[in-house]
Amino acid sequence: MAKNTFSSAFRKIDVDQYNEDNFKEDEGDQSGPTGPNENEIITLLNQYPFLKFINNSEALRAVLTNAPLGSKNQQIKDQALNITLRVLLSIKGSQIDDIVQSLDPELIDVLMKYVYRGFEIPSEGSSGHLLLWHEKAYSVGGVGCIVRVLSDSKRA
Amino acid sequence: MSATLRPYLTAVRHTLTAAMCLDNFSSQVVERHNKPEVEVRSSKELLLTPVVISRNEKEKVFIEASINSVRISIAVKQADEIEKILCKKFMRFMMMRAENFIVLRRKPIDGYDISFLITNFHTEQMYKHKLVDFVIHFMEEIDKEISEMKLAVNARARIVSEEFLKRF
Repeated sequence: MAKNTFSSAFRKIDVDQYNEDNFKEDEGDQSGPTGPNENEIITLLNQYPFLKFINNSEALRAVLTNAPLGSKNQQIKDQALNITLRVLLSIKGSQIDDIVQSLDPELIDVLMKYVYRGFEIPSEGSSGHLLLWHEKAYSVGGVGCIVRVLSDSKRA
Repeated sequence: MSATLRPYLTAVRHTLTAAMCLDNFSSQVVERHNKPEVEVRSSKELLLTPVVISRNEKEKVFIEASINSVRISIAVKQADEIEKILCKKFMRFMMMRAENFIVLRRKPIDGYDISFLITNFHTEQMYKHKLVDFVIHFMEEIDKEISEMKLAVNARARIVSEEFLKRF
């Protein structure tokens, strides 16, 4: 026989958490790139001033292909974000167009992710530059690359 | 200064267009309920990555999308005390009349001055591009409105003090 009680604590129990069909985040493989090599990027950015354009696009390609998007380690991600932002901000406005044109569609998606992450930590003058990057990446990638930023669970 | 305004608004416009793909979606928890998932946050799979678009440290837009609703929060530029007060009062005035604006949220998200909540029912009843236009237009006008009010307040203060000091 059920015992009579004044306690109402049982009403607060979240029974829905025991549903079988609840959404579980798939653990997935944590492999994949572990982040760009900082020294390599910095040497790329600094060497041969007269080859600036080639080095810059090379550096950007390196950070984007090695982006640790699938990683669960926030520290690695932050580090990669810092390096990527440095590369993005060191590229002049007039070069952005050509560099974006030369990137693959997958890399444009990654670029867009970093542009949006960069907006979250605005510093002196960075937002204006990132807005330029956003505009150029949009003109190549279209709405699709923004939608992929919104819907991808592998965040930058 | 206004060099970044145009790209800023364009970026917001494109992001809103991308985020406003909404569909009718009934609650997974309560039978026959239908709630904006961005507010109730019942499941992680229904929420999209929230994004921020910033023009500088103070001016930014926070866009959170979900399967059936999108929440847009705007932080307006407030350079000095008087702009802060004007902004606060003005936003309060509008949020008290939120039902007339239909998509306006009654309270802003923490850290922002005003929030909009657009659900799939709004996108069904209204044109999506017009909704985006409305938000963009709002962002354009709010800066103008506040700086105009600031000028008016200053001009009035000057006249009042002149009148007052005439007696001495």
